[in-house]
Amino acid sequence: MDEQKLVCVKCRIPLAPGDVTLTYMGSNFPVKLPKCPRCGLVYIPEALATGKMQQVEAALEDK
Amino acid sequence: MRKAAGKEKVLGVTESLCPECLARIAARKVAGDDVVYLVKTCPEHGDFRTVIWRGTPAYETWAGEGGTTPAANVSSAGKGCPFDCGLCPGHRRPTCCVLLEVTGRCNLACPVCFASAGRRGDDPDFATVAGWLRQIRAANGQCNIQLSGGEPTLRDDLPEIIALGRSLGYGFFQLNTNGLRLADDREYGARLKEAGLSCVFLQFDGLEDDVYERIRGRTLLARKQEAIARCAELGLGVVLVPTLVPGINTGHIGRIVAFAAGLVPAVRGVHFQPVSYFGRFPQTPADADRFTLPELMRALEEQSGGKMRATDFRPSGARNAYCSFHAEYLVAADGAMKLSRSGREKTCCQPRPAAEGVRKARSFVARRWSAAGGAGTASPAHCPGTVTDSLDAFLDMVETRTICISAMAFQDAGNIDTDRLKDCPLHIFHPDGRLIPFCAYNLTDKAGRPLYRPQEVRP
Repeated sequence: MDEQKLVCVKCRIPLAPGDVTLTYMGSNFPVKLPKCPRCGLVYIPEALATGKMQQVEAALEDK
Repeated sequence: MRKAAGKEKVLGVTESLCPECLARIAARKVAGDDVVYLVKTCPEHGDFRTVIWRGTPAYETWAGEGGTTPAANVSSAGKGCPFDCGLCPGHRRPTCCVLLEVTGRCNLACPVCFASAGRRGDDPDFATVAGWLRQIRAANGQCNIQLSGGEPTLRDDLPEIIALGRSLGYGFFQLNTNGLRLADDREYGARLKEAGLSCVFLQFDGLEDDVYERIRGRTLLARKQEAIARCAELGLGVVLVPTLVPGINTGHIGRIVAFAAGLVPAVRGVHFQPVSYFGRFPQTPADADRFTLPELMRALEEQSGGKMRATDFRPSGARNAYCSFHAEYLVAADGAMKLSRSGREKTCCQPRPAAEGVRKARSFVARRWSAAGGAGTASPAHCPGTVTDSLDAFLDMVETRTICISAMAFQDAGNIDTDRLKDCPLHIFHPDGRLIPFCAYNLTDKAGRPLYRPQEVRP
């Protein structure tokens, strides 16, 4: 998906790279993700959710 | 036998053996004063009472900590457990790991030895071992292989045995070794690695030569360190395996773990084995000669200064809960240990660090991303503006900084509980073709007479 096509569904403005802290079971991971400059909505790419984030979850808990 | 005090409580009943004559006899698990005993009476040889559990976590609650409790008991049609091994219909676990004794020879003469190995003897030839591998594969499908002995590295053709096993489809080969040849012979280690050896289980009893002199009969520490260094150079993962003997090295547990943690990822784990009493012994072992699993869990906490907690550890889901425990930790650069995962291991016989599973998942994901965007493990090309360095760093740490701390309590004629034996997934291949649960195979009476192991004449 092209970055230019990511638009916040609520604010109707393009998402821009922004600082986000992912937290899981007490561990924090500062990352940059497409984010709505106005309301803070964050877009998590599917490949990230089912890839590295899932691996981190598995390493942190009993999966 | 001491008279059961009024406050003692029977936690369960099972069957055991008389340590004198190996007759099968009824046994009770009796709790009193924070200690659980196996109590039994042989009509011919009298009463026996052996400690099986000391202190917390409590015996009664431990099996609920993620392990399994026995399924319905199926009686065998023969003489009854443990006399019908091979395996009998009453056995509750399929074969997960098979231990092959590829030699009876050893280059040490340890007072403590499962296998009563000697210095001489004939090895089964290559064709015989090849036949064993084919037979096991045909009968059991996929299972892990432990190469043992004697000292298996005394065989020059061990790499060829592993290579053949790999060609037959076996996915995991573990080498149980004292490490002497690995320390001395780099080319041999390289051949093992190239043939497909997965992991080295290195006998490693402590960090003082006094410990080796008392348990193994000679100083060995420097050789052990050399063996670890050679394995690290070759990329052969090492698990340190201390035999814990009360009064000799049970005070060294914390130092062994700290040493191992300083060597990750070359060292992937420490697998403690409290001593069990196989072979000939002049007197029935006293309770003071036994070190139980809960004592070991508490010693790990106390001797690590709280880096590990006794509550970190869980029983295995793959065998009887009272046979083992494990936990995995991430090791920080300063030596701090963070519990990473204490759930069920991914294989039945050797808890493997999460890193291996992660590595597999990672390579799968990397391939998928490469195909999609050619970006490898960098940010997905289809979603610019995504920076996930912190996740990458964490996953790298899991891959390279994970250590597995585990233990296994073997059973001898004093403490054998057939309920545990029926749950055993680790089986030794008998030269006559039968698969025998590990503890039944090694079991001997007080005079050293074995139940199953072919008797060898010691030189």
